[in-house]
Amino acid sequence: MSVVDTALVAGYTVGEFLLFAAAGFVVLAIGMLYRAVKGPTMQDRVLAVNVLGTNTVVILALLAAALSEPTFLDIALVYALLNFLMAIAISKFTVERGGVL
Amino acid sequence: MTGLEPVVAQVTAIEASLLVFVVLTALVTALARDVLAAVIVFGAYSLGMAALYTFYRAPDVALTEAAISAGVTTVLLLLTLAKTTRIDHETVFEEVNLPAAGAAGFLFAGLALTMGDVPAVGSREAPVWSNPDVTQWYLTETYAQTGVENTVMAVLAAFRGFDTFGEAVVVFAAGIAALIVLHREVFA
Amino acid sequence: MSDARPNDRDDEPGGTGAVDGESGDNGTDEKPDDVPPHRAVARSGRLDSEQRQGTPYTESQVIMPTVKIVAPFAFTFGLFVTFHGSGSPGGGFQGGAIMAAVVFMIAFAFGIEATRDWLANTVVVALAVGGTLAFAAIGLIPVARGGAFLQYDLLPIPVKYGLESVEVFGIAAIVSGVLMGLFFLLANGFASDGSGFGDGGTGDDIDDIDDIDDTDESASTGSDPSPVTDGGER
Repeated sequence: MSVVDTALVAGYTVGEFLLFAAAGFVVLAIGMLYRAVKGPTMQDRVLAVNVLGTNTVVILALLAAALSEPTFLDIALVYALLNFLMAIAISKFTVERGGVL
Repeated sequence: MTGLEPVVAQVTAIEASLLVFVVLTALVTALARDVLAAVIVFGAYSLGMAALYTFYRAPDVALTEAAISAGVTTVLLLLTLAKTTRIDHETVFEEVNLPAAGAAGFLFAGLALTMGDVPAVGSREAPVWSNPDVTQWYLTETYAQTGVENTVMAVLAAFRGFDTFGEAVVVFAAGIAALIVLHREVFA
Repeated sequence: MSDARPNDRDDEPGGTGAVDGESGDNGTDEKPDDVPPHRAVARSGRLDSEQRQGTPYTESQVIMPTVKIVAPFAFTFGLFVTFHGSGSPGGGFQGGAIMAAVVFMIAFAFGIEATRDWLANTVVVALAVGGTLAFAAIGLIPVARGGAFLQYDLLPIPVKYGLESVEVFGIAAIVSGVLMGLFFLLANGFASDGSGFGDGGTGDDIDDIDDIDDTDESASTGSDPSPVTDGGER
């Protein structure tokens, strides 16, 4: 019986609340997808994919807490470290279309 | 595997939003006119898939998706794109090829017809979970037989070790095949 | 990126940092006025052409220090995922991919050519080949002792460490070696059209560069036989 299973308000437990919060972040990610698709410039897309990555780290951390599986935080850590790689790869690519690699 | 029932009872919000996100990113990846935009949205697709795998309690798959997709695939695709020339596009999306879309829709409809017989996600009655000879045997016997807590790794390295050896050789062969295709003799 | 940087900073005799000094080395005076300081030549021709190879790599004052800080932690985390695969999610495949991604990160920050010099071809090949041989050897030791392939209880070490050694010495080494190799390989490109920013170490394509440049500068992409280019034109 961890803190995740304790009732919070109106019969909802803390875990369910965290899951709803994660769902809200996914909805935000869908909104951010508009910027990634529409652009109009590549810088917009780089920024959008960076925000999406940070968003995903939050979602994964919330899932790890809600499912009370601390080892799931490893995935969030991997994303936090590698999302940076994705961001610098795309941003360096947008300059001169990879000419400065 | 504690607390599976409450998760099954209220899958709706997080699962539905993640599925919408994944389907949207997959469609945009397929339809985007600009290749760089498609690569970027494909990175976003992998983010959604990793969260979905995590929610379905498959952390090993989620970790693989995170490491391979975010770290490797995007970078390798961008490096390949850097070797090509850019074509300016007027439109954001490709035109949909109607016969191809019809064939894909037909396949989707055929697969969707079978969904009624598939057990619910996380159901304890699903054969893949309740089977005493396979899943339950591995879950109960792995630690006694190998001393390893992570059942997935034990299955990969010990119980199905010969398959994993084959996969490792395939990865090695893929590196050699890339050398041959690109007419190189050394990697670095 | 640094388009807004005023050009007169390069004319100052002193007081410029290392990065400014390098962009000054490219010769600001010869450049046309519409070319930003970080770019040695005007945007023209293909990336592979001789002109465009003037600045194959541009230092970034944001990316380099950040990678210096992040890379050790990311590499340590890759080692953790590899070595702790028996107790938590992960294993050799994931850990090897993370460690290879750290090398990508370093290559983006410090230049692919510099990383290519730093990480010799021998290391990459030794990882890939050594991993395959180590996996096969661990599998064949029990066979030599009269058991089956990969029968861990016939190894002279506990079963758990047998699994761990397959993950660490076998799979992680293969995956990280092959992924690093693919990265350097794709950065070099197709050999016979002389593309890539370096000579790739083979040396046999250097003679072709002069012939290739003639077609490149005429901006004729249609006649290029490279399959990579064909994919991009689709």
